[in-house]
Amino acid sequence: MPNREQHRRAGAAAAATHGRAKDRQSGFGAGERGHGPLGGRHPRPDAAAKVAGSARYVADLALPGMLHAAVAVARVASARVRSVDLEAARAASDVEAVLGAADVVGENSIGVVFPDQQLLVTDRVRMVGDRLALVAARTPEAAWAAAALVGADVEELPGVHDPVAAVAADAPAVHEGGNLLRTFLVRRGAVRPAARRAAVVVEAEYRVGGQEHAYLEPQGCLAIPEGRERVVIVASCQCPFYIQQGVARVLGLPLAAVRVEQAPTGGGFGGKEDYPTELAACAALLAWHTSRPVRLIYPRELDMQASSKRHAVIVRHRWGADRDGHLLFAEVESFYDAGAYAGLSTVVAERGNVSAIGPYSVPSIDVRTHVVYTNNLFGGAFRGFGAPQVTFAAEATMDALASRLGLDPIEFRRRNVLDEHRRTTCTGQRLRPPVLARECLERAAAAAGWTKRRGAVTVDGHWRQGIGVALVQYGCNLHHGGQRLDRSSAVVILQPDGSVIVRVGLTEMGQGNLVACQTIAAQALGVDPSVVQVWQPDTTTVADSGPTVASRGAHMSGLAILDAVWRLRRRLDPVAAELLACASAEVELRGGFASVRGKPRRRVSVAQVAAEMAARRIEPISNGFTRSSIRRFDPSTGRGAPYEFYAMACHIARVAVDAELGLVRLEEVTAAHDVGRIIHRDALEGQIQGGVVQGMGWAISERLALESGRLLNPSFTDYVIPTAADVPHVTAIIIEGETAAGPYGAKGVGEPSLIPTAAAVRNAVCHALGVEINELPLTPPVLVAALGQRHPLAWVLAGSDPGAGTPETSAALTPAQR
Amino acid sequence: MAERVRITLTLNGRQRTFEVPPGRRLLDLLRDDAGLIGTKEGCGAGECGACMVLLDGEPVTSCLVLAASCDGATVVTVEGLGGAPGALHPFQRALLAAGGVQCGFCTPGIAVTGSSIVDRNERDPAEQARLLAGNLCRCTGYTKVLEALAAAQEAGHAEP
Amino acid sequence: MDLAVEQVLRPRDLDEALDLLAAQPEARPLAGGTDLVVQLRAGRSRAAVLINLGALGLAGIDDRPDGALAIGAGTTMAAIACDPRIRTRHPALAAAAGLVGAWPIQCRATLGGNLANASPAADTVPALLVADARIELATSGARRQLPLDQFFRGPGATALDRGELILSIVLPPPPSGRVVERFAKVGPRPQQIIAVVSLAGRAVVVSGGRLTEVRLALGAVAPTPVRARRAEAVLERATPGPGTHRAAITAIQADIAPIDDVRAPARYRRLAAAVLLERFLEACRG
Repeated sequence: MPNREQHRRAGAAAAATHGRAKDRQSGFGAGERGHGPLGGRHPRPDAAAKVAGSARYVADLALPGMLHAAVAVARVASARVRSVDLEAARAASDVEAVLGAADVVGENSIGVVFPDQQLLVTDRVRMVGDRLALVAARTPEAAWAAAALVGADVEELPGVHDPVAAVAADAPAVHEGGNLLRTFLVRRGAVRPAARRAAVVVEAEYRVGGQEHAYLEPQGCLAIPEGRERVVIVASCQCPFYIQQGVARVLGLPLAAVRVEQAPTGGGFGGKEDYPTELAACAALLAWHTSRPVRLIYPRELDMQASSKRHAVIVRHRWGADRDGHLLFAEVESFYDAGAYAGLSTVVAERGNVSAIGPYSVPSIDVRTHVVYTNNLFGGAFRGFGAPQVTFAAEATMDALASRLGLDPIEFRRRNVLDEHRRTTCTGQRLRPPVLARECLERAAAAAGWTKRRGAVTVDGHWRQGIGVALVQYGCNLHHGGQRLDRSSAVVILQPDGSVIVRVGLTEMGQGNLVACQTIAAQALGVDPSVVQVWQPDTTTVADSGPTVASRGAHMSGLAILDAVWRLRRRLDPVAAELLACASAEVELRGGFASVRGKPRRRVSVAQVAAEMAARRIEPISNGFTRSSIRRFDPSTGRGAPYEFYAMACHIARVAVDAELGLVRLEEVTAAHDVGRIIHRDALEGQIQGGVVQGMGWAISERLALESGRLLNPSFTDYVIPTAADVPHVTAIIIEGETAAGPYGAKGVGEPSLIPTAAAVRNAVCHALGVEINELPLTPPVLVAALGQRHPLAWVLAGSDPGAGTPETSAALTPAQR
Repeated sequence: MAERVRITLTLNGRQRTFEVPPGRRLLDLLRDDAGLIGTKEGCGAGECGACMVLLDGEPVTSCLVLAASCDGATVVTVEGLGGAPGALHPFQRALLAAGGVQCGFCTPGIAVTGSSIVDRNERDPAEQARLLAGNLCRCTGYTKVLEALAAAQEAGHAEP
Repeated sequence: MDLAVEQVLRPRDLDEALDLLAAQPEARPLAGGTDLVVQLRAGRSRAAVLINLGALGLAGIDDRPDGALAIGAGTTMAAIACDPRIRTRHPALAAAAGLVGAWPIQCRATLGGNLANASPAADTVPALLVADARIELATSGARRQLPLDQFFRGPGATALDRGELILSIVLPPPPSGRVVERFAKVGPRPQQIIAVVSLAGRAVVVSGGRLTEVRLALGAVAPTPVRARRAEAVLERATPGPGTHRAAITAIQADIAPIDDVRAPARYRRLAAAVLLERFLEACRG
């Protein structure tokens, strides 16, 4: 039995390892510039195969004897299940197996945080898309045709479809115990006395719609059994380790017997964080029963209906400021529509909870964040993870307060934004300098020509111009509540010819994690990126590294890689030193060579050193590991350090609005981002450009049309995402900071690149129209309804001709408030 | 039992003959019968453009084309855009240089449509964007893709 | 995944096609497939037998001796959108064809398919209606012609008889004088969208800015694309001015019968139709 002293030493060693990881990254020259691939634009290593059409995604993988899977799902949102009839499906042609809940060999349980979700339902249906049965057949046509023959005898029950209504005492309960799953709080100061001193108070309710990820590659995976003792899953996913855990549970296998390889993944955005586990468990179960490889690919319509979505959120605000434009208090109450199962909803809400105020100094705060069950779509992770919704609300309220004070929106934000001198967040965390929120704001404003454009609404034919701003303070990596997941593992293997294998646990889904890892490894080893090969994650090659979410991919992979390289150099540097006749401490790796510091002509190639190591049988493989720091945070009050560090961003959107038709054209977005350090310039720009456009779609055209929990528009025909013809001009302003916790000082940009966009667009549209609109998306009917009687043709709907009226109808729209 | 349909087409420059079920889409003929997995299925309804191929010289969504209507046609997939195995069309090279590839799932379809726009010598950026509107991308925000189009136009047409 | 189709017939000419259709009237004609294949896959249509029309030579745009323009049913939207004769004489049709789906859809979608599918939101139909188009139909025994506004019976329903194919659309020469013709389509994004409202307008501007030979047609605001005859009547030779405009906008509300659907509520469609009409009248004043 290990004694306390051994525990203490193990803990101290672990802490020392972690500490060294942080030192190591600065030891690699966090301030050094001008050599190596860091910050450059070398070609992404995965791009050539993708451009040539030779990258193999799950649907491009086939094995002899492989079966195709299909899923029979419930088409109603709330029902009692009396029985499920599998006989007709079993009798269908080309069918090998049809499985129901009784056929789950391990646990019929799939929830990633709460055990409230079954893989196959037994007696209750709680959402459209709940699985009734699984089919494996010799062709996909046969599988889906058989799935359609699965009969379910159900008794529909009343459902609940609004998260505010769902918390009422008499609302139909989605689960026993009621519909309020959790409430998170942030409390600070005293709101009531502060409210009495306020010169202006804004009260508003914001109805923020959800969003579908619309990754181009539908969900899919391949399960390959090795007898009944082991299984290999190849999946389109963001977290192979979640899949490993979920499949092990459903099959009753030890974790080590489940191997998960991430296939090239055609987009994720959070939609492939936990949902792929559901498909993998289905495919694995079928593979276990049939002893055949099984591939499951969701048709687009099922994917859109059943897979996770950005949460729709209702946000209620009461905020106030004094006469001088200083925020005095902020009350926020949010209702997150979790859908039928918790999934990741409490984790999303935790971030939303502490993000509800934005990067502003507010002495008195009362934030209540509720996670509510309904029978609507399954809420889950989506780029921004709860922050975009509350940012939309916060930035709208900021504009409303500014307007009532007669202040320019940016001037009002200036008076309240966190900076070097005022750097305590709403949870009482003191930010480490530099605090770049103000700099992001000022540089974006200057680049966007804010003052000139905000001063007057220009009209060009039917189009009215507007400009709007939004800020975000994004907590990088995992929230305090998820700390135990925030670690990352890497392996670096120096080949005898000097090429390098790198393995990490974090995934590439288009955001550039592969090129980031390649760049960091090449920079640290002083070699050209082309000799560094980063292979897709595999749960048998590295330790659990958590999910690729929270903009943590490059950060956590990078630190683990640096740790591995540091440890490798303890064996490599002495060999190089011998070849160079110098001391180990003088060995420098740069440009493909090991050289003597200060004497660059005394050098040997890294390849030579590698060959020498191989000849001497010196261990060329090295592990790396990193963990986030332990932070103190009190969930019952929301006080403390929910995140280790933050990335700031400011988006300014310039729109043209056709008020009469309610059309919005996003013309330009100026995006200022505090990134710490640029790892790969193309990847960084691509993230910003992509985030802006995905945020734009959410803002103006992506509407999830629901009727009793059923999605009415589960296709690209009517779920409208931006095309190449809709693209705004994106000006990215990249601000690097001196200190940051990441590899070479890098933070994360995956989510900050989207979070403020919709808020900025909304503020710009409201500027153009001179009305306040408190819902999202801003579709044409919403805009036109917001104008109400101010619409020049409003009389058409009143059903009567008002007789002689003002000929110049467009003047009926009042000039926008400053 | 459905009677199979015999189709001969010129596929990436070579004449090929297939016998397929009557309900087979061109997309599945390419991926399953011809083994060309570069063309992807993103939606099956002609909306996303991931399945784009050139059919008799024009970009079409192959998920909506029945193989049976392709007898005698000429088809070029992403694998054949460069004219020879392993070769790339100038637009494909421009996409790589511009950094316009992220998850890559839309990329083959975009490569097909983009190469067509370049070969037609369409130089107006607004028109280029309009012609590309049938290829959805969720990662890039299209900016670097459009930059690649402009750069490919500058560079001229396919070299031998 | 394969579609659930048992047979694809591939007639080599029109007569063979019509004979096949006469023998198997349940067989579905297949041209570009951009609507039919979507419906087959979604299970909204079932078709054991398809008849491929590709070899029938029905594509092409011909000048008729009487000055009319005949567009073969097999002509693609792309060909229509870029044809110089259509762009000059029937600019609304060229614009509409260029807004059907996106470019790759336009390379496959045919005019005959757009008409046979009979969606209330079909883009080309309002433009054809304002051009007084006639539709030519054929069975194995007979040919006939109809004014296009008698062809549509309801959503997805047409006047096609069993075994009947669309041959072509005939557009009489446009009127002489100062003709203003416009097509506008409203949706949540400019490209690749099913119309929430569309409007085609054609009028001849005569002295005093008055309009004559007024044609207005709208899509997506009724069970079929419709001519706005009440609004046309108000405008025909009326003295231009705010009073006339308001009367026309009021009248057009009686010409349309929009519904709430997943794309937009009826209220919005009414307002947007009024805006599109007003903008057409603005263009006529132009």
